Amino acid sequence: MDERLVARGLTRAPFGRFLLWLVPWAALLGVGLYAAYLCLAVGLNQTNMDNRFAFGLWIYLDLTVIALGAGAFFTGFLLYVMKRRELAAVINSAVVIGFICYSGAVAILAIDVGQPLRFWYTFWHPNVHSMLTEVTFCLTLYLTVLAIEYLPLVLRNRQLKTRPSMLVFEFELHKVMAVFALVGTFLSFFHQGSLGGLYGVLQGRPFAYRGSFLAWPSTFFLFILSAAAVGPSFVLATTWIVSKVSGRSLVKPAVFELLARVSGSLLLVYVLAKSVDTLVWINHTSFQLGVHPASFYAFAPFGTWALFTEIVLLGLVPALVLALPRSRRDSRLLVPAAFLACAGVAVNRFVMTVQTLALPTLAFDSFLSYTPSWQEVASFLAVVAYGVILYSLSFRYLNLFPQERELAAAPEV
Amino acid sequence: MFPWSPEFAWDATHIAFFGALYSVLATVALTLAVAAWRARRDAREGRAAAIAWHGDFHEMPASARACRHQLTGEAPGRVCENGFDCRHCAEHPHFEELRRHDATPDHADHFGFDLPLDRLYHRGHTWVRPEADGTLTVGLDDLARRLLGTPEKVELPRAGDRLEVNGPAGRVTTRGKEVRVLSPVEGTVVEVCGEGPSATLRVDPGGLSDLRHLLSGAEARAWALRELERLQRAIGSSELGAALADGGELVDDVGAALPRDRYDALLGDMLLEP
Amino acid sequence: MEAAKTPNGARYGMVIDLDKCNGCGACVVACAVENNVPPATERATERNGITWMRVHRIEAPGEARAAFVPMMCQQCGDKTPCASVCPQNAVEVDPASGIVAQVPVRCLGCRYCMAACPYHARSFNWWDPEWPGRLTETLNPEVSTRTRGVVEKCTFCSHRLQAAQDAQAASGGDAKPPAYTPACAEACPAGAIVFGNLDDPESEAARLAGAPGSFRLLERLGTGAKVYYRTERDWVRRQADGPTAAGDGRTHG
Repeated sequence: MDERLVARGLTRAPFGRFLLWLVPWAALLGVGLYAAYLCLAVGLNQTNMDNRFAFGLWIYLDLTVIALGAGAFFTGFLLYVMKRRELAAVINSAVVIGFICYSGAVAILAIDVGQPLRFWYTFWHPNVHSMLTEVTFCLTLYLTVLAIEYLPLVLRNRQLKTRPSMLVFEFELHKVMAVFALVGTFLSFFHQGSLGGLYGVLQGRPFAYRGSFLAWPSTFFLFILSAAAVGPSFVLATTWIVSKVSGRSLVKPAVFELLARVSGSLLLVYVLAKSVDTLVWINHTSFQLGVHPASFYAFAPFGTWALFTEIVLLGLVPALVLALPRSRRDSRLLVPAAFLACAGVAVNRFVMTVQTLALPTLAFDSFLSYTPSWQEVASFLAVVAYGVILYSLSFRYLNLFPQERELAAAPEV
Repeated sequence: MFPWSPEFAWDATHIAFFGALYSVLATVALTLAVAAWRARRDAREGRAAAIAWHGDFHEMPASARACRHQLTGEAPGRVCENGFDCRHCAEHPHFEELRRHDATPDHADHFGFDLPLDRLYHRGHTWVRPEADGTLTVGLDDLARRLLGTPEKVELPRAGDRLEVNGPAGRVTTRGKEVRVLSPVEGTVVEVCGEGPSATLRVDPGGLSDLRHLLSGAEARAWALRELERLQRAIGSSELGAALADGGELVDDVGAALPRDRYDALLGDMLLEP
Repeated sequence: MEAAKTPNGARYGMVIDLDKCNGCGACVVACAVENNVPPATERATERNGITWMRVHRIEAPGEARAAFVPMMCQQCGDKTPCASVCPQNAVEVDPASGIVAQVPVRCLGCRYCMAACPYHARSFNWWDPEWPGRLTETLNPEVSTRTRGVVEKCTFCSHRLQAAQDAQAASGGDAKPPAYTPACAEACPAGAIVFGNLDDPESEAARLAGAPGSFRLLERLGTGAKVYYRTERDWVRRQADGPTAAGDGRTHG
C-alpha cells in the first residue's frame, strides 16, 4: 500500500505487517508517556530518587546512550575526514541511531530536572566553569547538527526526491556534509569529555574525583576514549540486530571488519589508559583526599569484582577479540564482542553515576541503595520505543543501507 | 551569554567558552545558509534535472555504468564517471580513435527484440534519428517497450517543452510502478506523434546538434548484448520461473511474468532510475 | 587552618560544641519554622524530606556511647563544591559575608550541586510545598517559599543578616559588619551553637574556631568550611574525617 514510498529495489514487509510490528512499541510508548506525564504533573516524587540519590536511573541511562550514540560522530569522522569510504555503508544508520540516542537523552533530561521550563536559564546565565553547562550547550548544538545530517536522508526518500526544491537542497547539503561532520566531531569530543568531567571534578566525592590534565580531570579523556571506542561497536551491534530482525543482508563483511578493527584498537588504548588511571587513583588521588581506596569496595554489591568486570571482562576481552584479525573474521566471536564492549561502557557509566552516590562520604553516613520506580523505568522504555518506531520508519522509507540493494540482487553470472 | 551580560567576565574561561560557542553557531548557520543559497541558485538556473541525473547515476552499481569503450573493447574494465555524457568526456575522443570501425551490419534482430541500426541509441533505451529538415526524431527502443508492456499512464513532454540530455522526457506508470524516461537529446519539442510507449517526439535541436554521446552500429549491438545480460541478472535466476532462453524472443510484456517488486527494481535498473 | 579573609567584609561562621549537644533537635525545628520549610507530605521519608538541619547520632565503635552532631550547610570557603558546578549560577557566594546563598528562583532542579556536596546539606523539593489550612499563618514573611523542583539549603539565616544590615543603616550605620544570630543558635537550649564573624578577633565564634581542639568535617577535602566543631572526646573527633576501610573512624595515610 505504501510501496511508492519505499526505495526502488528494496523489498519491505507488507504494510499491514509493518503496522502490526509498530503496535507493541506504540503501546510501550504510551505507557511511558503516561509515566513521564506523572513525573511532570505530580512531581519527581514519582521516582525513587531522593536527596542522597539525586541522580538515578535516568542520568545513568542518559550517559550510556550518549556514549553509545558516539558511533554517529565517529563514523562520520572516519568517513568524511579520514575518507574511509567503506563506512558509507553504515553512516546513514549511524546518523539515525545517533539522532535517536541524543533526542531521547534530551527528552529524558526534560523530565529529570525539577523545573523544565527554566531550561533556558543555562543558556542565558551560564556558569562557564561548570561541566554541566558545557554539556548542555554541546548536547543542544550537537542534536542540531544530527538533525541537519538526518535531513538529507529524509530528502532522498523516493517521493520527496522527485520535488526539485528538495532535490537540489539535498545535493547542496550533501556537498558540505564534511563541515557538519567536523563540527559534530568537535562538539562530541567536548560533550563526551565533559560528561566524564562531571564526576571527575567532584572533590567532595573521592570515589569519582580524579587528578587533572590541562583544565580537565582524567575522566574527561577516558569518557571520550571509551565513547569513541564503543561507538563503532554499537553501530556494528545495531546493524546486526536490524539485519536479523528484517531478515536481510545489509552490509558486506568488510564493513563489519573495519568497524571492529577501529573499535578494538581504540578499546585497547582505552583499557590501558583506564588501568593507568585506576592505579593512580588507588595509590595517590584518593589518599590525598584522606580516603583509603578499599573503602570504595567495602560495600556489597559493589565489590572489586565490579572493577574487574568493567576493565577486564567487558573491556580487555572484547578489545582483544575485536582487535585480533583471526577472531575478528569469525562473526560468532565478533558480534558478541561488540555487544560486550557496549555492556562495558554501560557498566562504566553506572559505576560513575550510581556507585558514586551510593558510597558514604561522612564517617557516620551509611551505604544506601536505590531501586528505580516503575515511572522511571517506563519513561526510559518510552524512549526505547520511540527509537524503535523512528528507526523502523527510517528503515522502511529511507535507504539506510546503500549496500542492501546490491546484496539483495542476484549474484553476477 | 553576551559580553554585556552582568555575569560575564573577560577571563580565559569565558573567552574560550563563548569563542567556541559562537564559532560553532556561526559555522553551522553559515554552512546551512550557503547550502540553501546554492540550492536556490541551482533551482533558478534550471540545474535540477542535471542534479537529479547525477544523483541517479552515482547510485547505480558499476556494472550498469560500463563505459561504451569497455563494451567495444578499447577500454576493458572502464566505468563511466561522466553520466554517459561523452560530449564532455576528455578521454572519449582518444578512445574513439582506437575503436575498430567495422562495417555497419544490416538490421540486426538476433537479440530477441528489434534493434534497427539506422538510428542512434541512448543508454536509457531511447533512439534518435536525425531527419532531413534538421530535427531529430526520438522514441523508445523495443526493449523498453517490451519492458513497459501496456502502461496505465504515459506522460509525454508537450510541444514547446525544452529537453536536455539526460534530463527527464516523460514518466510512465505501468502495473502501478512509475519510471521516468531519459531524454537523449537537447532541444525544443516540436511535435508529439502518437501515444503511449510507441509515441515519438520531433525535437528541434536549435542548430547543430552534438550526438557524440549516442551509440550506433556495432557499438549499439555490443551495448544491446550487455543490456540483455543485465536484464537476465535483474530478472533473477533460480527462485523465479522466468528466464531468457537462448535464441528466444523477449515477451511483449515482461512485467506480466514477474512479481511486482522485482518488476519495480527491473524498471529502475534498465531505465536508469535507481 | 585559617582561610583567606574576604576583602572589607565579614566571614560569618559557626562553632558547635558537640560535648554540649544533647540531640534535642530544637535547632532543627527552629530552623524549619524560621525558613518556611514545608511540612513533610505523607510519603516523605528521612531520605526525601526537607531538612536544612539534621542531627546525626553517632556511636563509639564497639562501645555503648553516643554523641550528636548537628549538621547544616557547612558554608564552604574558597573551594565550594556546589557553587562551581551549578550550570545556571544559582549558587552565589557573597564576598561580603562569606555566606553561600542558594537562589531558588534561578534553580533548574538539575541536582548536580546535591551530587557534589559531600555533607549532604542540600534538599530537593520532590513535592509541591503545601501548608494546609491555617498552617499558612506560621509562615515567616521574611523568607520566600520555594516551588517544587528546586534545591534548598541552610543560608545561615541570611534574611536576619539583611535585617541587621538594614537596622544598622537606618540607625546611622557603622562600618563594622553587624552581628546577628541565626535561628538554630538562638534556639539551642544548651548553648552549643556559637555564631559570629570569624574575621572579627573579638567575636566568641572566632576565638573558639581558632582555639586548639576545633576541627571541621572532612578537612582533607579542602572545602574551607566555616562550621567548626569542638569536642574533647577522641572517638568523636576521629569521625570527622571520611569513611575508612574499616568504617570505624580511623584514618589512613
